Amino acid sequence: MKFSMLPQVFAQMFKKPFTNKFPAKYIPSSTTKFLGDVGSGKAEIIPPIETPEGFRGKIVYDKDRCIGCKLCIKVCPSDAIEFKPDEKKVKFYLARCVFCAQCNDICPVNCLSMSNEFLLADSDKYSKDLIVE
Amino acid sequence: MMAGKKRLNPEEIVKSFKDEFKAKIKNTRIERRTKGPSKHEFVHIWMKVDKSIFKDSVKHLATLQKYPHLAVASGNDLGKTIELIYHFSIYYGVPLGEISINISVEIPKAKPEIETICDIIPGALITEREKQEMLGVKIKGIPDSRRVFLTDDFPEGVYPWRKDETGPQKMIRNLHEVKK
Amino acid sequence: MKTKQTTKTTYHIPIGPIHPALKEPVAFEFEIDGERIVDVDVSLGHVHRTVEWSATKRNPIQILYLAERICGICAYCHPATFALAVENITNIEVPERAEYLRVIQAELERICSHVLWAGVAAHEIGFDSVLFLTWQIREKVLDLTEYLTGNRITKGIVTIGGVRRDITKEHHPKIFETLNYLKDNFEKLRKVYLDDKTFRMRAQECGILTEKDALKLCAVGPTARGSGVKKDVRVDQAYFSYADLDIECVTPDMLTGEVNGDVYDRIIVRLLEVKQSIDLIEQCIDKMPAGDIVSEPKVAKVLATLKKAGGESIGLMEAPRGEVIHYVKLVEGEEHPFTWKVRAPTYNNIMPWIPMLKGEQIADIPIVAASTDPCMSCTNRVAIVDSSKKYELNKEELHRLSVEKTRRLMA
Repeated sequence: MKFSMLPQVFAQMFKKPFTNKFPAKYIPSSTTKFLGDVGSGKAEIIPPIETPEGFRGKIVYDKDRCIGCKLCIKVCPSDAIEFKPDEKKVKFYLARCVFCAQCNDICPVNCLSMSNEFLLADSDKYSKDLIVE
Repeated sequence: MMAGKKRLNPEEIVKSFKDEFKAKIKNTRIERRTKGPSKHEFVHIWMKVDKSIFKDSVKHLATLQKYPHLAVASGNDLGKTIELIYHFSIYYGVPLGEISINISVEIPKAKPEIETICDIIPGALITEREKQEMLGVKIKGIPDSRRVFLTDDFPEGVYPWRKDETGPQKMIRNLHEVKK
Repeated sequence: MKTKQTTKTTYHIPIGPIHPALKEPVAFEFEIDGERIVDVDVSLGHVHRTVEWSATKRNPIQILYLAERICGICAYCHPATFALAVENITNIEVPERAEYLRVIQAELERICSHVLWAGVAAHEIGFDSVLFLTWQIREKVLDLTEYLTGNRITKGIVTIGGVRRDITKEHHPKIFETLNYLKDNFEKLRKVYLDDKTFRMRAQECGILTEKDALKLCAVGPTARGSGVKKDVRVDQAYFSYADLDIECVTPDMLTGEVNGDVYDRIIVRLLEVKQSIDLIEQCIDKMPAGDIVSEPKVAKVLATLKKAGGESIGLMEAPRGEVIHYVKLVEGEEHPFTWKVRAPTYNNIMPWIPMLKGEQIADIPIVAASTDPCMSCTNRVAIVDSSKKYELNKEELHRLSVEKTRRLMA
């Protein structure tokens, strides 16, 4: 049949678009002005789609339970964990983390877990948001 | 294709090679493993052949199945020799009937040469070119001996897979060792 | 007046490495006489990242994540094949439930990959509305993957001895909802690809690979099956739990009754495989027994076992594009492997490009090259070569030629 996609295309004209328009419906002409408007309450950010349970986002570190065994350093594929010998605790560099959660699996005292935060873009590799300790 | 030929079981395959080449086949082993809940078996055959009969052994394999499937050829650097392992598989197309045959050949580092098998299996061209550039093996009779994965301006005489002084040690830069 | 004698020669046209028809870099050099292609030369090596060498500095658990990042679309098959090879060396026994779970993840990845390819093939012809439809369907499958494993692409679900996460009864409603959505939309896709005139006139009698060529050049995957060669690792040398499932090798004569070896046959093979995958997932969920999901839950113990193990072995698997083989050699007393060789399926599917492209027109290059579903990231292991040529066809030009041919044929 000649125009097999036509019914599909026609029906789409009356439906909502499939794309979720995060953060705004159209690109703002100035991003800093848009962020300023959001801060003062004049504009609204359309939220992203909800992440499911079990999503691997930013790591959450329970410092008091850590015993300094260094097993997580042994198994990290991208060398993103540093040991602090004076305190016997560790420090995570999120600029190198690949969010594999292998350190969660191997930790003997279960002091690590993954949150659902994923909006982590930054221009400085060693900024405060990207280091967990 | 091979509808009329009888399919041999692994012991018969090894026996046919040993009958043909006598003492030049060494270290054969047949590995049988069971997999999955119904515990069906799969078979891997490993053989070490002498360099002088390598091409004849591949021709003998082609008599068991008309077009044996060459998956890839991998290589090991063992100090004084280089070991090349060709991974073949025959009897594909038969459900649960495929057998993997791995033929390994050792060649001395002082004179690393081996013959091509591109006239028997034309699909072996890319894997042979890769061995030439990565291990420094010279393949005699290869139709096309250009580099396949390394760039044209990669230095001559440096072979990435080797573990001796011709390896790529001098070309390594650890980019992530900055201030932490 | 003397007349000048001129000789007729062929043009050499280079295409790539920043590539016109593919999403990955490959450099072609075509010898052209008018509009027909006379000869083809392929050069690789534009995405080499020294993956195999990096593995000699890491222990096997770290290599699983390195293997995942070899390619984005085949992000499940490389760690799974590596785990198969290591389990063969050390004779680790994988529990039955884990084998079924691995099959479910493999088939989900196959559906994602084939639907993505269907959209790319439609885009090469110029049929963009189908591209958007297929990628919309794919979004639902990726949502299901995110729900089951934690991430859309880099799943991180395979470990040595089993899988890391289980599929419980709470997950079943979402799985069945996605499978029903797929079954409803499969009929739409089937009508567009197989009944519509557009695909038939562009894809039939184009890019033919004969059965003899496919056997001689060791082609794998849907490229070989589209020519009638029955090569499928899931059926021939079953791994995971495929021996207990009802599966058969898909060839085009199941739908049309004859085998031509052209681009249209490869489209048929891939669409039928999507249907087969949906069926396999349902069978697995039915037959899965209760039990452990990993043979040794303490990762530190696994690392200690692997350090003491020695030997060599291979692992074979059927990725969406064909057969993947990994060769691993471990040394006793050392954590890092001695050798790791990866061979991705596109490696074997490069040589068949030459007989497929000879005799075709330039405007057919995108669809023929895309019909083997090449994945260069899997194939390569280095850097970019600069070639100074005088006559270059860039990406937009080739795509425009392909779209114009479709319009010409439709008029």
